[in-house]
Formats: sequence, C-alpha cells, structure tokens
Amino acid sequence: MTPDSTMLGKILDRLRKARWQGRPINWSGYAFIAPFFVPFFIFTVGAILFGVYVSFTDWRIVGQTQWIGFKNYSDAFADPMVLKAFWNTLRYGLVIVPSVTILGFIFAVFVNQKWPGYVFARFAFYAPNVVSATVIGLVWVWMLDTQYGIVNQYLGITIPWLTSTQWAYLGVSLASIWWDLGLAFVLFLAGLQEIDSEVREAAIVDGANRLQVMLRIILPMMRPTISMVITLQLISTMRIFSQIYVMTNGNPAGASTSVIHYIFTNGIQKFKMGYSSAISLMLFGVILLVTIIQLRFVKENSYQ
Amino acid sequence: MNTFQRFLKARKMRWSDIPLWVFGMLLAVMWCAPFVWMVSTSFKPFKDIMTRNVEWFPRTVTLENYIKVFEQPVARWMLNSLIVALIATTISVMLGALAGYALARLHFPGRGILFGLLLASLMIPGEMTIVPLYVAFLKIKLTDSYLAIILPFIANVFSVYIFRQFFLGLPKELEEAAAIDGASRFGIFWRVAFPLARSPTVASTILLFTSNWNAFLWPLLIVFDEEMKTMPVGMSEFAPGIGAHTQLVGFGPAMAGITLLSLPSLLIFILLQRRFIEGVSRTGIKG
Repeated sequence: MTPDSTMLGKILDRLRKARWQGRPINWSGYAFIAPFFVPFFIFTVGAILFGVYVSFTDWRIVGQTQWIGFKNYSDAFADPMVLKAFWNTLRYGLVIVPSVTILGFIFAVFVNQKWPGYVFARFAFYAPNVVSATVIGLVWVWMLDTQYGIVNQYLGITIPWLTSTQWAYLGVSLASIWWDLGLAFVLFLAGLQEIDSEVREAAIVDGANRLQVMLRIILPMMRPTISMVITLQLISTMRIFSQIYVMTNGNPAGASTSVIHYIFTNGIQKFKMGYSSAISLMLFGVILLVTIIQLRFVKENSYQ
Repeated sequence: MNTFQRFLKARKMRWSDIPLWVFGMLLAVMWCAPFVWMVSTSFKPFKDIMTRNVEWFPRTVTLENYIKVFEQPVARWMLNSLIVALIATTISVMLGALAGYALARLHFPGRGILFGLLLASLMIPGEMTIVPLYVAFLKIKLTDSYLAIILPFIANVFSVYIFRQFFLGLPKELEEAAAIDGASRFGIFWRVAFPLARSPTVASTILLFTSNWNAFLWPLLIVFDEEMKTMPVGMSEFAPGIGAHTQLVGFGPAMAGITLLSLPSLLIFILLQRRFIEGVSRTGIKG
C-alpha cells in the first residue's frame, strides 16, 4: 500500500504502523476472535447481566414488567421450600462429594498399578461419565425399584429407595456417585501418573512399606489434585438437577428437590422469572463462597 | 521359577497382591453391571422383566421393547440430537480454533483481558444463564427450532482454552515461512497452523460432541413441540415420575430407548479411550 494523502489513507497508514508494548499490532487478531467473542458476550456475559436485572423485576412472560427491588430476594428468604432446597443440596454434597473423592482415589490407585486387566478397569470406572442424565436416571430408577429392582433383590430387602421421604435423597445420591465418579477418577489417575515412579521406588528401597509410601509420599504430593477434585465435585453437586428430575422429580413432598430443581419447577414452569433469577443468583453466591474458601484453603496448605 | 511366578514378576505383582487384584477387578465388573442390566432388560419380554428372579442373560430374546419404544417419535428424537450435536460441535470447535489461535499467536491490545475474562467465566455455572436466556428466547419467540437449541452452546470456552494451550506450544517456524511467502494471516492459520492442530481438534470434538449429545436442561426448557425434542429429553418421559409410559408398559421399552441413547457416546469412548481421557484430564470437564 502506498502512502495516501487522503484522510482515510493517513488513518490506515497510522494503524498499520501502530505498536503496542513495542511490537506491531496484529489487527487481524480481532477478526479471529470476533466469531467467538460476539456470541460469548451475548449468551454468557449478556445473559448474566440480564439475569441480574430480571431478578429485580416481576418478569412473568406476559404483561407489564415492573421493577420491584429486592422483593424477590426477601420472598426467597421467607420461602420455606427455598430453605429446604438449599438444605437438600447441601445434604447431596455431604454424601456425594466425599464418596466420589475417596472411591475415585482408590480406583485410580488400583488402575495405576497397571496390573492385568487395567485397561478394562479404566474403561469400567469412567464409562458412566459419558452417558446422559436420562440414561443414569432411568437405569437407577429400574435398579432401585422397590419390588422388582435388582438392588433390593440382592440385598434381600424392600427399601423404597425413591418413593419415601427418608430414602429418596440417598437413592438419587447413589446414581450421582456412579455418574460423577469417572471425572474424579481420571483426574486422580493423571495426577498419579505425574508422580515420578523413582520417588516411590526409592522409598521402598529405604524400607518403607506400601501404606507408608501412600501416606507419606503419594497423598501429600496429590494434595493439589485432591483439592481440585473436591472443588469441581462440590460445584457440580451444587448444580444437581437432571438426575433428580428423571428419578424422582423432587418427590416425595420435595424430599429430594435441589436448588436448580426448585428453580425449574416453582420458578420457570410457573413463569416466575424474576423469582427464579433471584434464587439462581443466591446459588451463584454460595458457589462463589465455596470456591473462595477452597482457594484460600489450598493456598494456606501450600505454605506448609 | 515357574511360569506363574514369571507372569507375576513381569507385571510387577507379588503373591500377596492377588486378593487385591481380584477385588479391584470385581469392583470394575460391578461398576459396569448397570449397563449390562440395562441392555439385558431391553431384550427381555415383559413377564421376564417384572419378576423377582435375577437373570443377567435373557432366557428368551425379544425385540418387542425396541418396537414399542419406536411408538414414540424416537427416530426423530435421535435425528434431532444428532443434528444439534454435530452442528453445535462443529461451530464451537471452529470458533475455538480461531480464537485460541489469536490468543496464543497474535499481538493485539486487550488480548490478556479477554483471556482473563474467559477464565473467570469458567467459575460461573451454566445454570446462571439459563433463566435469563429462557426469558429472552421466549420474548423473541425463538423456540422449538434447531437454532434455539444450538445457539447458547456455540461459544464454548473449553474449546478456546484447549486450542490456545496447543498453539502456545507449537513452534512458529512453519508459519513464519508461510508469512515470508506472502500468505495472509487467515491463509497461514487455515493452511499451516490448523492442519497441525489435530490433537486439540480431536480432543475438543470428542468432549463437546458428548456434552452436546447429552445436553438436558436447555433443550428441556426451549422445546415444547414433541417432534423437536432431543433424545435425552424425549426419553426422560419414560421416567415413572414424569410421563406415564413406564407405568403402562414396564421398564422394557425405557431400557431399549436408553440403550440407543447411550450407544453413540459409549462407542466414541470405547474407540477413542485414550484421547478421551487425555482431553478430560487436561480440562477437567466431563463429557
């Protein structure tokens, strides 16, 4: 391009020679990122901001929308079912997170031995993670059937896993553990493979037994991975919805409902959009709090 | 030393490991059992399903459950899922490759901030956007179409992240040679850089395809028309608490339907096990 004397030409010329941090700017970069960032700004950033706005209104799909301030939030705090949904979600977390973390770790240690059949074991432990919530839900509804379900047949009992207020959350938790474990397992496996096998062998030569190697060497080295798995699992359990919807639809009497499930049945399906948005922002606050606590915890540990 | 001892030694096993090994393998078999039970039930006649006898292999094999499940528009649901998953995956992989390339290679103001924004958005659960998106899509009457199901999923942050990490580690020489030959930026990307990026392309395709194939909450909300449902949503009507199908016909057709539903993702996983696991452990998302 020859230098042009027109206004436009001058601007173009200056842009071409423009530098940022001492290097010429690749203006084409913006063209490369635009196809991604335009939908990203609309469907993620924009949606979140719009959600904050909606949570301060009485949005109901039809009719006029009015700004009602914090009313949705105060309603949510006064709604005993919201409290119940948060409490249930916490209870799911208390059952699912430790189970997934501990079992996932044990399974990963087993597969990492590379004993015969380990490829099959790796497949088996991860496979449930790749199928849809509908598959998980329906298989377990069938297996946990009170009368004909295989679980009760084998245990020789008739526990109403999914139809009693007392057992429903455990039934859903069993299915969730089976579904979620794969991710924890794979992350642990990757972490274990990064530990130098020489470290382990040197310890064994020094006379340490397997238990000591596990407790003194492997567990401390795996601390960052363990922490990551707990955080990821905690966040994903706070968002538990699909398997509940398929297995119990929150029943009986809301005994197995979760926050997202409550948003779905009592907010969205009843067109209370403002109310739904407010509760989902409250959930986001809880998730953020969990993440921050977890991050601080990890940092403090790493100084030890 | 006998052959058995040599067998153990070659595998770094000791005699005392054998009980542990047996226990672990039993656990692995048990972990697969629900899938076996699902497939087995799907081939049993009604009277052999609703029974107290546990039979892992059907005594009489029948296709009646598969015939019955197709009384629902299952073929259409499968087709919908396939179309939606293929389009959404292709678009998000392409957008991810473009943006990932720019964030790794090209020098422009705002690059760092944009990448920081991407990482921050990973902390925000997808459910946060569901209610406002639903409100907005209803407002502009964008429902019951492939476009409505796909649109919120095309900008996938993980895809950008996977490609950015790959291009950061890729030597620049080939691209510089192409630049000297006078190729445009896009030409360099399309003819030189992208063809080299096979591993992130495969990794993000596998991850996004399974997650799009399995997507549940959004398609459940935005589709009202029976014919436009995706397979996971359509099949969920077989849950006793939601639809009435299973109460009427037992669990046979439901198991037949979800066998079909789990087939594509399980097949991809079986065929590409190593790549799959690599991709998951690199990003920490589930398929």
